Amino acid sequence: MQKTSSYFAAALIAGLSFGTPSIAADDSRIALVPGGPHPYFGAWAQAGEDAARDFGLAGADYRVPQKWELSQQNQLLESLLSQGYNAFLIFPGDPVGSVSTAEELSGFGAPVMAGGGCFKDPSPAALCLGTDTGASAYEGTRKLIEAMKAKGDGPKRIAHFTGFLSDPNTQLRIDAVNRAAEEEGVEVVQTIADIDAPEAAEEKINAYLAAHSGDIDGIVTTAWVPAVAAAEALRQMGGDRIDMVGIDHDEAVLKAIKDGIVDGTMIQNPYGQAYIGAYVLDRLRSGCTIKADAPFKSNALTDRFVDSGTAYVDASNADSYIETMRGETKAIMDGFEATYLDCQ
Amino acid sequence: MPSLTRFVRTDWFGPLLACIVAIAIIQSVSPTFLSLANIQVLLLALAVNALIAFSQMIIIAIGQMNLSVGAIGGLAAIAFAGAMEVWGLPAPLAALFGLIIGLACGALNGLLVRISGMSAFVITLATLSIYKGVNLGITEAQAFYGVPQAVKAFGSAVIAGPVPWLVAPTALVAVWLWFMLRRQPVGRFILAVGGNEHAAELSGVSIARTVVTAHAISGLLAALAGILLVARLGVGQPSIGDDWLILSFAAPVIGGAVLSGGSVSVAATLLGVVIVAIITQALVLFSIDPYLTQVILGGLILAAVSFNRLRESRFIGRFGRA
Repeated sequence: MQKTSSYFAAALIAGLSFGTPSIAADDSRIALVPGGPHPYFGAWAQAGEDAARDFGLAGADYRVPQKWELSQQNQLLESLLSQGYNAFLIFPGDPVGSVSTAEELSGFGAPVMAGGGCFKDPSPAALCLGTDTGASAYEGTRKLIEAMKAKGDGPKRIAHFTGFLSDPNTQLRIDAVNRAAEEEGVEVVQTIADIDAPEAAEEKINAYLAAHSGDIDGIVTTAWVPAVAAAEALRQMGGDRIDMVGIDHDEAVLKAIKDGIVDGTMIQNPYGQAYIGAYVLDRLRSGCTIKADAPFKSNALTDRFVDSGTAYVDASNADSYIETMRGETKAIMDGFEATYLDCQ
Repeated sequence: MPSLTRFVRTDWFGPLLACIVAIAIIQSVSPTFLSLANIQVLLLALAVNALIAFSQMIIIAIGQMNLSVGAIGGLAAIAFAGAMEVWGLPAPLAALFGLIIGLACGALNGLLVRISGMSAFVITLATLSIYKGVNLGITEAQAFYGVPQAVKAFGSAVIAGPVPWLVAPTALVAVWLWFMLRRQPVGRFILAVGGNEHAAELSGVSIARTVVTAHAISGLLAALAGILLVARLGVGQPSIGDDWLILSFAAPVIGGAVLSGGSVSVAATLLGVVIVAIITQALVLFSIDPYLTQVILGGLILAAVSFNRLRESRFIGRFGRA
């Protein structure tokens, strides 16, 4: 299987020998647990292996709940605790509902950190390392508007395809897209959500474009599967009248960018989330604490947010997007301990 | 007049009427609904969704449920895509491989139901987890992208006008299912077991063989749906099948299938699929608030089922079924 994450990780291995701690807790067994199976988290597995090797951990293992259900994730986390895992990087299945399980883990002395998505404060999570989803959606929409306006003046209309409504990030993304459009005088004519599954995305996006492709000038997508489905739909439609900015680094989206079908994509940094997350959890187990005056950002869920980085990739840098994210990861790692941790 | 009465009494008349009314309403509001492009999108959706519905319908016919329809379809889909990408198998062989996996998974369901004596609901709930677990174990939630261009081309090619090639296998399956249920012993056995298992057994019907056969057919149809979906999407996504469950039940029930078994209709189930597809598209075309979409979809499906049940109780109850 061609795994983009493998290439991504392989390219990172050479460049991520920075920031290795001099003192590591040699018995750190870290579990990297997403909310459920999703290609976005594919890079976490390789990142865990790399972190275990680079930081001398007993293990940093990617463990996936079988379904996107909070109960399944909670059961998996409890099972992992009983198996000897002693630190947890978690994408919360629910920002509020997951807090009680995080408290349970923390009660056994296992540090907990949120990765990819945040717990709702108050929670025992040391911090939340994830994409600033609102900023990413805002930036992507601005890029789309730039591309549309480059083709000529006049009123512009866009459609927004996004992910699960149960994901708290989705509303942040909807708000950000609407805000960016409003600032530029662009109308968001339709938001189609709950389509982060292939069948639903393909059916609804194609149905929308079949009926309304003439009514829009651009498409912004803020979830993985809709980005793939929209890119494929535009490829089949042909022509370049409709601009599109996607999200993430699926092969289909990157190929569509290189082929001139899609203008660009807002890539996130899942590898960096898991790699840095494993490092931070190990440092916390080694006795480090979070600085009281650490310069965390805030989002709708937490006041202990660290942006794992996002970047716009277009045809000019689609081949080197790995380098772009390596730079983001290195920048975060370089000053992380000095900025956020107290390791006296 | 008698022929009209007979026509009205058929099990597919209600769903057909609902389809016509729905299409007329949507077309009057959104003139692009019946554009060639949108008809093609509808047919593409129908090609896969009908197989999903048939897969559940055949189990409903024996008075059971198959919760693992989506898991089997997903496993067959990644087996099909993975066999082409990892082993380099030609598409026909990979498709055969996927179909055999679906057939085997379905047959295993049937065997477990008969051997254990437990309800199919419990057995397929367990195998849903097993099949999905195997899927995730193989893929690690990553898609197979190495789908050959010829398969992708098949997924988007048209026979003529807006009619895609993907509907061809589905049409053949629909005809075969109709013929089997109406004319062949195995089909009559399936309906007999669903109608009254004890009476069927006393009549010499092998219950075990019939149940295993029905589950094997169900697995085969789910696998075919998964394979066609890979062709349509051009990628072997491990999440294929995750949201098939509601559709698999909704379409046969809208089509008047009796959940206790013994009475299903291929034509009415197909029309049930059309109704669900039309409703889904209408919600997109009418720009329904995304937070209300699920509520309205559920409400409209409930209305469609109620309409058909009302027709049956008012009309067929008085004059009998055709």
